[in-house]
Amino acid sequence: MTGLGYRGEMAGWDISAIHADFFEVAPENWIRRDRTPLYKLLDSGRPVRLHGVSLSLGGQAPIQHDFLKAVRELMIDISAEYYSDHLAASGDAHQLYDLFPIPFTESEVIRVSDRIKEVQDVLGTRIAVENTTYYTNTGDMSEVEFLMRVVERADCNILLDINNIAVNHKNHQQTDLHHFVTKLDLHRVTYMHVAGHEFDQRFNLYIDTHSRPVEATTREAALRLHELHNIPILLEWDNDIPSMVTINQELSWLKTSTST
Amino acid sequence: MAEDFYLYIRGATETIPPGYTESGMRTYRHLVFLGASQMIEAHFPELRQQLGEPAWKALLQAFIRQSAWTSHYYGDMKDEFLAFLARESDREDT
Repeated sequence: MTGLGYRGEMAGWDISAIHADFFEVAPENWIRRDRTPLYKLLDSGRPVRLHGVSLSLGGQAPIQHDFLKAVRELMIDISAEYYSDHLAASGDAHQLYDLFPIPFTESEVIRVSDRIKEVQDVLGTRIAVENTTYYTNTGDMSEVEFLMRVVERADCNILLDINNIAVNHKNHQQTDLHHFVTKLDLHRVTYMHVAGHEFDQRFNLYIDTHSRPVEATTREAALRLHELHNIPILLEWDNDIPSMVTINQELSWLKTSTST
Repeated sequence: MAEDFYLYIRGATETIPPGYTESGMRTYRHLVFLGASQMIEAHFPELRQQLGEPAWKALLQAFIRQSAWTSHYYGDMKDEFLAFLARESDREDT
């Protein structure tokens, strides 16, 4: 199964011609808007999964139950079975509309997993958290150790972003893709994200821009996990979105392994 | 420590919080500025040109520094920006 992150820019495309088996959207973009484009996706016979950007699981602000109720209502409306957000903060006690690192410490494991449990209690369902890119962070455990401690304590799932692991490895030379995956409980992985990234010489860092084709090593790692464990792959392309032809080409590369 | 991290990102201090890298912190500050400026520019397309680059940048930086946004919806930043302009204008009048 291969999915595509659906963007408003794709509204004019012929949905039936997109070679995706499922779609993903950010609930924040649809809770208060006309959902006609989402109903069109569903009418094409493919399910829609929700991937949020503002839950701020690592933030200090109280979890907003009204927002979660609106997410729940959207899930029911479009029969969405999956909802995920990032293992990150969106700000301190306020929103800054980006994804900031949570220090990799035991006290944060406890605080953040308690917040995930609260979210799951309000929604009445299990969520998944995505491993994110970080451009600098502190703490005394590795990223994958932190991720596994959080998801086990919260008893939640993982949305495994292969591109983020690759970006973090390029930027920090800590945990490579192979090592990261061996430390995971793959039974908790709902599906994978792949995307492209860019080097920004102003900061001497690779930035998770979702504006480029997927790197071959990222694609091959995702395909390997797909073949061995039947985990679906979803393509994210959020900026400088190319033509549908290019997206379909990229999706086709995620269906067939080049090594076989 | 979280407080120092966000003070830097908001541009309220130039001190890098202990344990973090300067390049990483500058990246986060840049990404927040980019997110805010793209949203404001989408809603007020002529403002940047009218103000000129230095004044536009200073206005956005002041907006981000004082921000206390709580909405889950990024688009609500437009209303926060209008409220910020009204507060700034009141302050100048008194």
